[in-house]
Amino acid sequence: MSKINELFTSKINVINVGIELFKDDILAQNASATHLEWSPPGGGKPEIIAALNKIDKAELAEKIEAANRLAVEKIVNSQPVLIGFDQAINVVPGMTKKTILHAGPPITWENMNGPMKGAVMGALVFEGLAKDLEEAAEVAASGEITFAPCHEHNSVGSMAGVTSASMFVHIVENKTYGNRAFTNLSEQMAKVLRMGANDDSVIDRLVWMRDVLGPILRDAMQLNKEGIDLRLMLAQALHMGDECHNRNNAGTALFIQSLTPYILETNYPVEQKREVFDFVASSEYFSGPTWMACCKCALDAAHGIEHSTVVTTMARNGVEFGVRISGMAGNTWFTGPAQQVIGPMFAGYKPEDSGLDIGDSAITETYGIGGFAMATAPAIVALVGGTVDEAIGYSRQMKEITTTENQNITIPLLNFMGIATGIDIRKVIQTGILPIINTAIAHKEAGIGMIGAGITHPPMEAFEKALITISEKWA
Amino acid sequence: MIHAKSGDNYFLQQLVDTEFTGTVHSVFKHALNIRSVADGEIFTLATTAMDNAPNTLVIDLDILDNLHIKQNDSVRMKRDQLLIEDKLQIAIETATCWQCHLPIYPSDTTKLKNNVVQVKRFIDLYGKSGGMKRSDSPVSEFEAETSRLLKQRTTLLHDGLCNRRLDSFQQYALDLVGLGPGLTPSGDDFLVGLFTIIRLEGSPCSIYQPLCESVIKMMKPLTNDISYTTLKKAAYGQVRESIHSLVCAMLSGTETESIQALKKVLAIGSSSGTDIALGLISGLEANIKLGG
Amino acid sequence: MSIKVVIKRNTYFDSVSLMSLSTKANQIEGVEQAIIGMGTEMNKGVIRNVGLMTPEVEEATAGDLMIIVKTANADETESAYLAVEELLTNKNSAQAKSDIKYATIDSAAQGIPDANFAVISVNGAFAVREARKALENDLHVMLFSDNVSVEDEVELKTLAHNKGLLMMGPDCGTAIIGNTGLCFANAVRKGSIGIVAASGTGSQEVSVRVHDFGGGITQLIGTGGRDLSKEVGGIMMLDGIKALDADEATKVIVLVSKPPEASVEKKVLAQIKECSKPVVVYFIGGNEEAVVAAGGQFAKTSKEAALKAVLLAGIDDAGINKRALNLPLIEEVRAKLSPEQKYIRGLFCGGTLCDESMYLAMEKFNNVYSNIQKNPDFLLKNINVSQEHTFIDFGDDDFTNGKPHPMIDPSSRIERFLQEAKDPSVGVIVMDFVLGFGSHEDPVGVMLPAIIEAKQLAEKEGRHLEIIGYVLGTDIDKPNLEDQVKKLIDAGVTHASSSTNAGLLAREMVLKGDHHE
Repeated sequence: MSKINELFTSKINVINVGIELFKDDILAQNASATHLEWSPPGGGKPEIIAALNKIDKAELAEKIEAANRLAVEKIVNSQPVLIGFDQAINVVPGMTKKTILHAGPPITWENMNGPMKGAVMGALVFEGLAKDLEEAAEVAASGEITFAPCHEHNSVGSMAGVTSASMFVHIVENKTYGNRAFTNLSEQMAKVLRMGANDDSVIDRLVWMRDVLGPILRDAMQLNKEGIDLRLMLAQALHMGDECHNRNNAGTALFIQSLTPYILETNYPVEQKREVFDFVASSEYFSGPTWMACCKCALDAAHGIEHSTVVTTMARNGVEFGVRISGMAGNTWFTGPAQQVIGPMFAGYKPEDSGLDIGDSAITETYGIGGFAMATAPAIVALVGGTVDEAIGYSRQMKEITTTENQNITIPLLNFMGIATGIDIRKVIQTGILPIINTAIAHKEAGIGMIGAGITHPPMEAFEKALITISEKWA
Repeated sequence: MIHAKSGDNYFLQQLVDTEFTGTVHSVFKHALNIRSVADGEIFTLATTAMDNAPNTLVIDLDILDNLHIKQNDSVRMKRDQLLIEDKLQIAIETATCWQCHLPIYPSDTTKLKNNVVQVKRFIDLYGKSGGMKRSDSPVSEFEAETSRLLKQRTTLLHDGLCNRRLDSFQQYALDLVGLGPGLTPSGDDFLVGLFTIIRLEGSPCSIYQPLCESVIKMMKPLTNDISYTTLKKAAYGQVRESIHSLVCAMLSGTETESIQALKKVLAIGSSSGTDIALGLISGLEANIKLGG
Repeated sequence: MSIKVVIKRNTYFDSVSLMSLSTKANQIEGVEQAIIGMGTEMNKGVIRNVGLMTPEVEEATAGDLMIIVKTANADETESAYLAVEELLTNKNSAQAKSDIKYATIDSAAQGIPDANFAVISVNGAFAVREARKALENDLHVMLFSDNVSVEDEVELKTLAHNKGLLMMGPDCGTAIIGNTGLCFANAVRKGSIGIVAASGTGSQEVSVRVHDFGGGITQLIGTGGRDLSKEVGGIMMLDGIKALDADEATKVIVLVSKPPEASVEKKVLAQIKECSKPVVVYFIGGNEEAVVAAGGQFAKTSKEAALKAVLLAGIDDAGINKRALNLPLIEEVRAKLSPEQKYIRGLFCGGTLCDESMYLAMEKFNNVYSNIQKNPDFLLKNINVSQEHTFIDFGDDDFTNGKPHPMIDPSSRIERFLQEAKDPSVGVIVMDFVLGFGSHEDPVGVMLPAIIEAKQLAEKEGRHLEIIGYVLGTDIDKPNLEDQVKKLIDAGVTHASSSTNAGLLAREMVLKGDHHE
């Protein structure tokens, strides 16, 4: 029987696109109909639709589909394992004594915003490259210092993301594909360098982290020959109510639980070990960077697959939001202006105090956790200014713009749906739905630090630029 | 126009033979009740999600509460079609005829005895609390008190049955009518199950049949019309398809068949299915004792 | 302690809702105890036992729903009760919240495995993309949108044809699939007549006449207005005929269209020849001989098409009310019209309805103008000014241009109507009013004040203004057909029982002696 004749004898079940009245009429006749939350692709811009149509041509579309399948297969199959800690200079590729890594796409010293400048100055003092902050500003502007995005050095950095040579970093190895990723250690939640603070208390803490925390963690992990399976731990943390971007309570508990036996076995004085545990206990953010490195490690494995439109990086430097896609190998950034973060602020601060969206932490959303997994973390929906229903809605909605579900990491509340994985720029533009990002709000002035948390989105412009470029290059 | 899929023999006859007219009594997602103008009897239109049942016509619809049909809308037959205002037209000629024929109580009760044990155990584990089955954490004092009374009165009734206390049967049964939460009160549901067993041909407790009929006559003001109709039908051996299947399975089927059939009964209403099943068990246990 | 009791008479909730409401009500802040249940004697007994009996509760009966809310403080009772009440009213909306929403056809098709059809009505610039996605997902498509290029139409229809799917449209306004009317359609009986139509209102008219004559419809397949052009080649109509031929429930097939392009007509006629079922062909203004030669049944009017179809479907001739023309009425109106009142002005929402009346007029007059005339000599020079006999299709692009279609908003022709009503050379104004899915909720109502005003004006000026109204709809359509017709008749409008009759009445009423045949 032909498909048309099959239709005649079955119940009609309609997907309605456009005039909603038609859906109501169908429902009134007791047939099934679903109305699409449709919006014109590319916001209806003719050049964007033309670009979409170009890459929709069958031959290219097939190539893109195949490439994207491969890209998400790599993301899903990646097994990032924490294998150790060491100073950046020893392990991060391309690191030099005078290199400062920062969050987001490339940016010059002059163009950096307040918090990032503050963090750079603090790092220069910490590294002994300047004797005080005043001199640090001169050094930074002198051209002696190499500034580069963390992302271009297999790394990620929280908030300002400032990483210098002697800071300790996580070493995460992808057991499936062999690549490594790095990120520095959490300074926890006081006045911190990553938020642009740089007074003596900040420098003193960095020194302690370099001299006590870092070596203890390094030596502890040397005793752990297996490494720590971060993907497995991440999946557990999500089942325990984290989304592993803005909520890390469970993840930090799991993480320190697995480090503790080895820390105890190291040859450091008990007081110092005690300091380490107190430091970890001072903020549940401790494992935040760990998950970032885990995500980075998986996404780097999927970068550079020809014809793939899957997003492998979303990062912000406080001025611009940058996106990289797998099909554009190397360091091709597509950028747009960094956005405001909308959410509740700590008492005494107003929206105009907030700096623009900053940090590499959106790597978590790029991987499919954080804002994408809001449904796992009902406890913090208020923190990001939403309701539980909205949180569930976000996690579902992100499926509209992604390629697959990662069944290794699931959301119990959504019937153990795998996290939405492999943001496809075509789908972002087709639907007009932007990835949702959970993040902290830093004060726009250097040195004040975190003043709230909320949600934000990338600028559509970055995706549009990427689409136009590939449509010209590939079609 | 909507087609009727299947219908209760008596209801279909009423529609075809009499100039059936009625009014809408109540509307739910999966059922719509109609009160006959002639004698006030309640008839039901059910969606495909429901099983066949006495006085019920199953029609080819998934949902009934989105048609803007309201209480007291007029219902009438016109040329083989049942019409509710201009909101719903149902062609009844397509309906296959259904009628409940209860099985005969078996002489060999080996299977039955085992099935009763298994079904009880399953209800203990998976039955819905709130009615006959006591909730571990009642939401209110009202619920707790209701549960207590249900327990007390069903026990009295059951003990009376087992001891052939014909004199107290009526009073104990009437004490249950209208007791409990839900559209069909739990006490009524329990009685539906119990009356079904009493109605089985060859059933040792079929001596109570005439008493059931007199309970029916006295109970009308004690409960709502929907529940009354269901109980009245049960007293004359007419019960819905899923209950019929469960009775058949328990009397002569395997354990697996019994549990399968039980699951369908447990799905009725909120706690109604559980309450009905417990009524069946009460009757069957009495039978086993009396027949023993 | 404070208690609030509300008894809702004869109110029934299903048990599942009652239980969950009761649980939720007991969790409301401030509530010590909440009871939601039926007011049976036994339940009242329980309430007495827990010490909440009040005179109102005493009065509840077995069919009533009792709501009892107890709070510790008197000032909390009312707000707690309101919260309970809100639970009752929100019982359904709470479910809707968790409904999954989809943004693209791809995700919806994936999420709804039973989906088999897409209705697409987005702006034409985006519609092709969506239609293609739908077809790629094996969905049958009805494309309501217009402004789609003919190249895109051919591409979509070819894709659909190769996949064995329906591709109705672009610019397809009407379909009935499996008894469900889509976009602009009428509620009609299920039956044994299948329709394939390139014109929306034409097919609505045929389906409504079929219903009126006691017949019924299996499927109504729309093709879009351009399907029978040379470029498209009738892909959808040919597939439609084949599908209806293979459909067991269909006994008779009706084709509705403007006359096809010559090469396409050949293909369609060949298909008719091959078809195992009788085919009635209503090609408005088309060629009878060719159709008959191919073994088809030719119909000159929509009414004739419907009548032939129901007779072929086996409906008893004797039982059909054929709604003959009211000849005495025609004579009566002729007598009332002055010699200057020579012209018809047709103001239509439905394109085919306009076409049909116009073709009927053209049989008798050679001065018939329109905005949709095929012959350029008779195209209106200025669409806002009528010439002699004028028929206007307000649904044409000339008039819609960004505004809603007149079937959705029939008020767009009010002004023009008043203009025509003032013209002393006008004898008859004929209008259509379309009911059914997608249409305006009271199309007659919006015209009524203007009709009354026009009638009064004419009377003041001492002339008779004849207004003919045709209401396209069935007795089971919404709004109610009877009500709409009654409104017209009460306002002194002559009611035509079909599109064909409307055209004939208008024509005959203005025929003067010298034209008489």
